[in-house]
Amino acid sequence: MADAKPKVSERRRFSPIWIVPAVALLLGLWMLIYTYQNQGPEIEIVFPTASGIEPGKTKVKVLDVNVGLVRSVSLGEDLKSIVVKARLDKEAEALLRDDTEFWVVTARLGTSGVSGISTLISGGYIQLSPGDAPATRTSFVGLPEPPVTPAGTPGLKVELIGDKAGSVTAGDPILHKGFPVGRIESARLDVETEKMLYSVFIEETYQKLVNSSTRFWNTSGISFNATADGIQVETGSLLTILIGGVSFGAPTGVPPGEPVANGATFDLHPDFASVNRHPYRVGLEYIVRFDQSIRGLRVGAPVDYRGIRVGRVEEILIEELSISGAGEPIPVLITIQPGRLMLPDNEAGAAQMRNAVTNSVALGMRASLATGSLITGSKYVALDVHEREAGSVLGNYAGRQTIPTLPSGLEGLEYQISGLLSKLNDLPLDRLANSAADALQSADRLLASQSMQELPVTLDTTLAGVRETLDSVSGDSALQEQLSVALAGLDHSLESIRELAITLNEQPNSLVFTRRVSPDPIPPAGIR
Amino acid sequence: MSGVNSPAPETAASRGLACCHVCLKLSPSTAHSCGLCGASLHTRLPDSRQRTIALTITAALLYIPANVLPIMSTVQLGNATDSTIIGGILLLIHHGSYPVAAVIFVASVIIPIAKLFALTWLSWSISGTHGVAHRQRTRLYRATELIGKWSMTDVFVVAVLVALIQLGGLLIITPGPAALAFGAMVIVTMLAAESFDPRLIWDQEERQHG
Repeated sequence: MADAKPKVSERRRFSPIWIVPAVALLLGLWMLIYTYQNQGPEIEIVFPTASGIEPGKTKVKVLDVNVGLVRSVSLGEDLKSIVVKARLDKEAEALLRDDTEFWVVTARLGTSGVSGISTLISGGYIQLSPGDAPATRTSFVGLPEPPVTPAGTPGLKVELIGDKAGSVTAGDPILHKGFPVGRIESARLDVETEKMLYSVFIEETYQKLVNSSTRFWNTSGISFNATADGIQVETGSLLTILIGGVSFGAPTGVPPGEPVANGATFDLHPDFASVNRHPYRVGLEYIVRFDQSIRGLRVGAPVDYRGIRVGRVEEILIEELSISGAGEPIPVLITIQPGRLMLPDNEAGAAQMRNAVTNSVALGMRASLATGSLITGSKYVALDVHEREAGSVLGNYAGRQTIPTLPSGLEGLEYQISGLLSKLNDLPLDRLANSAADALQSADRLLASQSMQELPVTLDTTLAGVRETLDSVSGDSALQEQLSVALAGLDHSLESIRELAITLNEQPNSLVFTRRVSPDPIPPAGIR
Repeated sequence: MSGVNSPAPETAASRGLACCHVCLKLSPSTAHSCGLCGASLHTRLPDSRQRTIALTITAALLYIPANVLPIMSTVQLGNATDSTIIGGILLLIHHGSYPVAAVIFVASVIIPIAKLFALTWLSWSISGTHGVAHRQRTRLYRATELIGKWSMTDVFVVAVLVALIQLGGLLIITPGPAALAFGAMVIVTMLAAESFDPRLIWDQEERQHG
């Protein structure tokens, strides 16, 4: 058996089968390198909550195009926020700028409509809003709410400062003549000033409608107002009644101002009427101190000078009052607006106005409370010049100048009566009475004299003589008859003089020539 | 004459005969081609060990993307979810489908890995000298060949799901790149098992005893 063992030729060559694992290895390596090279940046976004974010599922989108995927979601170091790590595509790298914004898109039901319905079934995603800043970064802080307008949208951004939130919220429209031209991006309450701050975005097309004399006012809901001018009810469009909104425009009679830059601030007026009440920017602050009840005087009430509106009541300085204590006059802060008196609405006008007020006070200008409406009982501050107060000067109170006041109403009546009484007091009544007494005494003496006693007898004699004279000219006396004959003769003479006058008038030469009477003219007949 | 229990069984090669790979006719090993069908004649499969090792390495390489890349992409209401083999098994366990998870785990993880190890070990064992009985190794080889085709279960599951579940916008299942890699890996392991000549086990036995 052993001799029959064949020779097995062992071919020790390299089998071509090794190409297969080599190709597999090369392919694998190529795939690895390709993937690594085409791998985009990994970014880190900090969000307040991970609601709607799932690692491996939640996508990062730009304009609804996938550009990345969330890799992991973990708690932040402070345990109060979450850190989302997402891998972006290579082409999305250029989108990562310093001002790139991220927010989570989920279904939202807001006053401005419903958004993100598609995310109800497909799940939320992270929206990337590309920035255009030159600097790049890979760590971001996500927005808790989607911004109303994405960053980089051309347009104008201004700030509004309002007294109360009312029905104005983020997302509400900005209207100009009732047409939406922008939106409120965000609303927040400033704790320091206790004012509402609104970020407003105006679309680029309508940007130039906003200038320095533009005023913004709230058109939300229904405004019901009872003021010194009466009762007013005001509504906007149905939409703004339902969801609110802010309108802007120029107040009546104010010329357009200069264009404004991004970040300009404006006051948000509660309604259009208040815009027209308060259309001026510059106001001089004065304090008037009333030594009477100011019931009915409200902030915003007019300040009139002889019926012409010159300013408004800004504030009733209660805090100053509490310092000074009970019984003190109540300080009221008013502003006098130079723009109302056709002076320039700027600092120059204000200086001019301040001079005018100082001069007027020297001439006797006083402030007093007056009743504007008997129905509502609202009051206003009336300025008027009272000549007998001339020579007074502006006072000083709580760091501001004060205009001296006069009481009004019942107090004013008292004041007037007391003035009258003091005038009466000033009359020289005692001297007057003395001279009157003297006059009466001398009259008495006159009446008691001898000649005065004889006066009636003399009068009797005189009257008898007069009677005799009158009797001599009575009806049947000779004097009467002669008089009538003379009058008849005079009448006759006058008649003949009249005839002579007529003749002379018709024919003046009749004094020399005989009067010729011409025949009556006969009108010609039969001639055509 | 040579019994089953004989430690060194007589082989055709030891008698100077070679078996044709195509028609299985025994010819003298001195001949270059089969006298019946004309196919070239080898005592053993040429480069059997090299081929097996090369294909095993290829399969091992393919096994990496097959597990790392997603094997199936489920688009449910516009929300695409990629799942890997291991991820799918974990999901099934999470949903409580333990039997299905077990089947897929065995078919897609245990069997391929076992096959890779078996082929590696077989290739290695025919070169060295060690005490594992040739009979056991032959059994191992048979088992490897037998279960090889069944490890396509995962690919089969994906194929069935992709074909069945096409519910428009509601639910769509598409195969992922790992399905390709996994399928290729199974085929390559089958080829590796095919290219392994079990008679090499006998030769080694012969060398040890002879």
